[in-house]
Amino acid sequence: MRPPVERLLADWIASGTRGIGQIRITQSGGIFSLCHREDEGRSDLAVHRSPNDAIEIAKYTDAGEYRPLKTAPNLRRGWWLELPDVEALQRALDFFYPGRLAALAVWEANRLAPTPLRATLERQTGMYRVAAKIPDGGIDQLVGRFCRSQDGEPGCLRTIMWARDGTKARPSLRLPLDKYIAPVDQTGRGENVIPLLCQEACNLLVAEARKVVKSE
Amino acid sequence: MISQGDAALLITGHGSTVNPDSSAPSLAQAEAIRNRRIFREVVCSFWKEEPSLRDALLLFGDPEIREVYVVPNFISEGYFTQTVIPRELELEGSLTRRANGQLWKYCEPVGSHSAVTELLLARAAEIAPGVEEAETTLLIVGHGTALNDQSAVAAKRQVDKISALGRYASVQSAYMEEPPLIADWPRLTTTPNVVVVPFFISDGLHSYEDIPVLLGIEKEGAMAATRLRGVFRSNPHRLHGRALYYANAIGTAPQFADIILAQAENFERCTLDLGAPAQTVSS
Ligand code: SF4
Repeated sequence: MRPPVERLLADWIASGTRGIGQIRITQSGGIFSLCHREDEGRSDLAVHRSPNDAIEIAKYTDAGEYRPLKTAPNLRRGWWLELPDVEALQRALDFFYPGRLAALAVWEANRLAPTPLRATLERQTGMYRVAAKIPDGGIDQLVGRFCRSQDGEPGCLRTIMWARDGTKARPSLRLPLDKYIAPVDQTGRGENVIPLLCQEACNLLVAEARKVVKSE
Repeated sequence: MISQGDAALLITGHGSTVNPDSSAPSLAQAEAIRNRRIFREVVCSFWKEEPSLRDALLLFGDPEIREVYVVPNFISEGYFTQTVIPRELELEGSLTRRANGQLWKYCEPVGSHSAVTELLLARAAEIAPGVEEAETTLLIVGHGTALNDQSAVAAKRQVDKISALGRYASVQSAYMEEPPLIADWPRLTTTPNVVVVPFFISDGLHSYEDIPVLLGIEKEGAMAATRLRGVFRSNPHRLHGRALYYANAIGTAPQFADIILAQAENFERCTLDLGAPAQTVSS
């Protein structure tokens, strides 16, 4: 039997979904092709054929800067990746957006238990322990700026599934309600997309929370 | 032996938000092990990259996977292997049973494996071919920072093991941030040849730039980042009347894939020795 994530991917594609994050997925004659959603229709793209090529494509921005957060909306352009089957497609997407298909599979099975931000912060040890001291207002500002889908610093295309704390409050009121609703297309194009879920704050956000506390 | 088909492997690494090469060895070794088709699934997760250690809790949803071997791709035991990884992965010790019955097996870090000593020797021989070992000092370099508290100890342990073989004129450790300092190598060593191997998992600014600068083979900020990787190809460097050979991080050796596998297999051996948990293991 196919592993659950592969099945999930096949189902999403069969339902007519053609995008994930900044990536366009097209299918023709059993071959899956990926490119940047803004590059659709271009004929001058550099062709790749191995799922492993996604590692290098996803590593740097167009300006040559390293991308520590793969769901940031700064995927580089100019490439075309052809993959022979769903297994290869999954492998490539796991490099472009690591862990996101797995989180989606758990969510679809109604088993996703997002971790409230306060729980993530309070669990930290060592240099990050101090991050827990960030006040609710600081979280509102930080998440509003850092996790923003568009015009963020650098921003992020995930849908936030976690609450601020046990009260289930949204972490930031500065973000549109859509930021918390899957499967809304976070690029703002309003298309049918496979959502990128954030089930728990990333280490980058924790590090930023520490900076906020330290600067006060 | 690790059972075919129902076991998965999770390689856990540090990763980095600034160094693009930090996760490369883990990813390359995962690919090499995946190609051997021993495990149903082989994935990496990182403290500072994606998928995160927390994501790893969601990566093995395939009901066919009954056991997950967790092998830290770290050079030594320390804060990460003892505090961060168990905390983030919600491990209860070396053996953790999840709600769905899946068994997670927490293995020793790669750096603790005895074969690492042979890899250090092989790397040294490879970058300084034909150089008389009896006229050579082998310098094993580490960070030596408070956070990686035990990496200095691990480097020192390798020094002791290699010294005992009596092959090199001298074997020493040196650190970036604590004495004996790498920058003091001309005083620390007396032999005509000096071979320097960084005892790190991955290459990065430390091995491309910081250590070369401390050794005196590069000037600070003199080279573009893209050319830095060339630093390993220009051996030997003639400095202070000696021949200095400089290797890249030991963890980049492809043989580390075998060590990752060996640490997973060692888990079975160690647990079997304990007697009682063996039944759980074979269930
Ligand atoms: S916390 Fe989640 S939504 Fe915010 S930047 Fe990190 S991954 Fe993106």
